[in-house]
Amino acid sequence: MPGSLSTLKALCAALALLFVFAHPAAAQLTFKPTAEAVQEDKLLNALKEGDKITGRVSIPDKMSSSLIQPAGRDWRDFHRSKLPVIGGVVILGMLALLAIFFMVRGKIRIHHGFSGKTILRFATFERFTHWLTASCFVVLALSGLNVSFGRVLILPLFGADAFSAMSAWAKLAHNYLAFPFMFGLVIMFLIWIKDNIPGKLDLEWFKQGGGVLFEGKHPPARRFNAGQKGIFWIVIVGGVLMSLSGWFLLFPYVPADVTALQFWTVIHAVIAMLFIAAMLAHIYIGSVGMEGAFDAMATGEVDLNWAKEHHSLWVEEEKAKGHVPSGTTPSAVPAE
Amino acid sequence: MARVKFLCDADRCIECNACVTACKNEHEVPWGINRRRVVTINDGKPGERSVSMACMHCTDAPCAAVCPVSCFYTTADGVVLHSKDLCIGCGYCFYACPFGAPQYPKVGNFGSRGKMDKCTYCAGGPEADSSPAEYAKYGQNRLAEGKLPICAEMCSTKSLLAGDGAIIAEIYKERVMKRGYGSGMWGWKTAYSDSPTG
Amino acid sequence: MKVFLASLVFAAVVAVGTAMFLGGIQQASYSAFSTSGARVGDPGNNLMVPG
Repeated sequence: MPGSLSTLKALCAALALLFVFAHPAAAQLTFKPTAEAVQEDKLLNALKEGDKITGRVSIPDKMSSSLIQPAGRDWRDFHRSKLPVIGGVVILGMLALLAIFFMVRGKIRIHHGFSGKTILRFATFERFTHWLTASCFVVLALSGLNVSFGRVLILPLFGADAFSAMSAWAKLAHNYLAFPFMFGLVIMFLIWIKDNIPGKLDLEWFKQGGGVLFEGKHPPARRFNAGQKGIFWIVIVGGVLMSLSGWFLLFPYVPADVTALQFWTVIHAVIAMLFIAAMLAHIYIGSVGMEGAFDAMATGEVDLNWAKEHHSLWVEEEKAKGHVPSGTTPSAVPAE
Repeated sequence: MARVKFLCDADRCIECNACVTACKNEHEVPWGINRRRVVTINDGKPGERSVSMACMHCTDAPCAAVCPVSCFYTTADGVVLHSKDLCIGCGYCFYACPFGAPQYPKVGNFGSRGKMDKCTYCAGGPEADSSPAEYAKYGQNRLAEGKLPICAEMCSTKSLLAGDGAIIAEIYKERVMKRGYGSGMWGWKTAYSDSPTG
Repeated sequence: MKVFLASLVFAAVVAVGTAMFLGGIQQASYSAFSTSGARVGDPGNNLMVPG
């Protein structure tokens, strides 16, 4: 019958209205279905240091399951407040120390002057490995420092567009030069580990301050003195830490966890600052800081007097093998 | 105009993902980029809550602070946007963001992830308002047309609120008073550093 | 000098080679995050800024 449907509808409407008016018009509900639900406050307070609130998502990207990770703010504080201080103190401090040392002690001269005779210190392959690692290190260090400090130091000078373009290339260089750097590191370790094992002689060398502080004082040393062994191990350990942390930053979906990635960036940044400071000292002593030192990596042949003064025991070993002298320096003036 | 914010009332969210779908459709967001997502806490257990999360447009945005090329900017309304032309895809903003908002078009292997993309509060980017160039890079600019973000507009239960921070906080307060309890304004303390009644 | 230049060339070759290799096996988000149930065609280029 045509009328019954509309009548039924009217009846239903009336019944519904009855329910609405019968419901207590209270300011608060008496039935609280979700009162026991998780509360954001409680979850945030229960979080341990570096932890995050996670849940279930329907997205395959594992990292999207993190809802709130408050540690991001701490990470921001570290990178914008603490790290610049660490980097500034360590790097500028080292530069200042080197400047003071140079002014006070001056260039460390060969006490007996150039002999005009040379001895082979580093073979071609060794120098290649050193320069491979060193040149990669310089670009990696500069591009890395650009990430940390470029925005403050360089951006104001060149403007946003130019700085961004440069930084994009710097980031690519940083990402991909890491691989030849790691390769060089491995080779360095293999070819030089045997001459860099610490020993009692190194303790003596340190006790005499490496002979750097006073003119004419030369504690005996083998192929590498204790200072150089220190640099070797700093490079190996620092390099491994940089490589490992850098690896996770290159491949963030290996840990696939933002908290782990934050940890690795902190390692990467702090070790970088210390590493750069150490390398500044190494570069100093290998170039302007010591007469005759640069030849070692430049041509591989060092002056015999230089070798006798700084690596006396190594010269004895080489003499026993019949390697001395290996040549003459065409431009050096003999002592007499 | 006052400072705009997002508020997700987790007591109303039914995990329908209408906000996610609306955003994806409005800006033609490619698969793999998740500007907005719904996260379910305690899934399957009593007290399960779902929260819709995207960029919260923080007051002191950590992403903007850590960006090595300073590609972020905050508009007069408090919307945090960035320039994809300046972005170098380094990923720092993702490490800093408490909410995991930054998204990248390539999986981060090899550190060249492509330009970062994120929720823009439907406010586009540095390109000219409502231009095709802006749409191609940043998606729809609803704010320039006087409209609120599409995710909040499409929310089926009006759990996701967007608009003037003071107004939506007031709406939420009314709800809490009526209910007698509230799960919390998820992300507000972390994003806006002011009290929930703020 | 020769050794130094040779090391630069070697570094550049390894870096570029690595870039080409890794770039070749890098996945786009739309492919990495598609499960077997999702049939994702060309996801389009909106929001994708090259570079």
